[in-house]
Amino acid sequence: MLKTSLYEEHLQLNAKLVDFAGWQMPIQYKNLKEEVLAVRNDVGVFDVSHMGEFFVRGPQAIDFVDYIVTNDIKNAQMGKAIYSPMCREDGTVIDDLIVYKLAESKVMICVNAANIDKDFDWMNSKTENFDCTLSNHSSDYSLLAIQGPNSFNTLKKLDLNHDLKDISYYSIDIKENGETPIIFARTGYTGEDGFEIFAPHDYIKNVWKQLIEIGVTPCGLGARDVLRLEVCYPLYGHELSDELTPLDSGLKWTVKLNKEDFIGKQVLADANAKYKLIKLTLDRGIPREGYTLANSQGQEIGRITSGTQSVILQKGIALALVDKNLHSSGEEILVNIRNKQYPANIVTKAFVSGGHK
Amino acid sequence: MAKILDGLKYTEDHEWISVEDGVATIGITDFAQSSLGDIVFVELPDEGESLEAGNSFGVVESIKSVSDLYTPVNGSILEKNTTIEDSPESLNEDAYGSWLIKVKLENEADIESLMDSTAYKEYCESNS
Repeated sequence: MLKTSLYEEHLQLNAKLVDFAGWQMPIQYKNLKEEVLAVRNDVGVFDVSHMGEFFVRGPQAIDFVDYIVTNDIKNAQMGKAIYSPMCREDGTVIDDLIVYKLAESKVMICVNAANIDKDFDWMNSKTENFDCTLSNHSSDYSLLAIQGPNSFNTLKKLDLNHDLKDISYYSIDIKENGETPIIFARTGYTGEDGFEIFAPHDYIKNVWKQLIEIGVTPCGLGARDVLRLEVCYPLYGHELSDELTPLDSGLKWTVKLNKEDFIGKQVLADANAKYKLIKLTLDRGIPREGYTLANSQGQEIGRITSGTQSVILQKGIALALVDKNLHSSGEEILVNIRNKQYPANIVTKAFVSGGHK
Repeated sequence: MAKILDGLKYTEDHEWISVEDGVATIGITDFAQSSLGDIVFVELPDEGESLEAGNSFGVVESIKSVSDLYTPVNGSILEKNTTIEDSPESLNEDAYGSWLIKVKLENEADIESLMDSTAYKEYCESNS
């Protein structure tokens, strides 16, 4: 089992550890609800060092990344972070990732921990027509997510050996550090304002200790999942998978068909979504991943991809994939929970509106 | 350290049982509520349903997890605690004060094999 550089710190804080994509990760420290509320109302810190970091370097680094992902990298401003799916030729999603435009000839890509090898092999097989090199720096980096409305103020109190700038959402601030630049990105997966810090292990350990010292709430993957679900962010392996296209997962906005060329373009240009990703709340009962959905005639029309009790709404919330041919909007949906049917409310807006600007 | 009360019987699934006049009252222990975290949903069987020892009779759910409740005894449901279904958080506040079901026992001897407070304390220590 793999351990992050903060493993000992988690033990000291009595974290509950679980196996996540081969890593021993903290799922919860003291109390999941308090961790969620810390992020919504104040600030919390997550160790997400299990995630992967790739660098693409060379004159055609940006061209290459633009070609392998569906979102527009070329026209994005330098110093910006861009969320995108990465697809196969048939349009199915290999992973969803964040591209960081560090310089004209340098791009960092942050990928899901479970997909590091799959992504690297895929990307590597596509580099031949581009003047660039791809390298996997996942083991050189640790990653902290500092999230919540007080993230910036909190980070300004620390000794970061860097004058952190008040950058805008999805922008980056780089501290040069040889082969392993330290990257402060105003990104995260909670819907709140916040920063992610990509840095060598010792630097991250030092920042973590300072944060805990001044009383910042350590938060586990359990809280992170509730937070991302409350703001309806998709998660690979749940709303996104090898069998689905970005169109199936409600990510049409990330597929830029006006781009010159990219892998999957031909198929995605003509494809129709098979599924619709919908948002449900339950007045009674808690929807969980895998529960099936039925219409009022009892016909199965889909399944829940992620579900939980919302800490903010204090009721069950879920994302679900429904078959477009079996469901038209406005029709009643029932959730099958242990052989009982619970009526669901279909909502259009995110369950919780995050505070990021 | 989780609270364990003398005079109750305990199961390996972290339920407590007290018996009076052939009726078993069943709940979850302080250890159970503490490991589950914030309990947000409880589903219990209705009056008259029959229970078979070793089977699930309901669920307790925390924000992120679903856990089955297992009956250690055979019998039929006399009463369920509807207050708990409406305010499941009371299990976190007072696990022993928040019973879940009352069961008419088929055979009182069913409870003899269960742990007493001393044995349950050892069991919790070896499982935490």
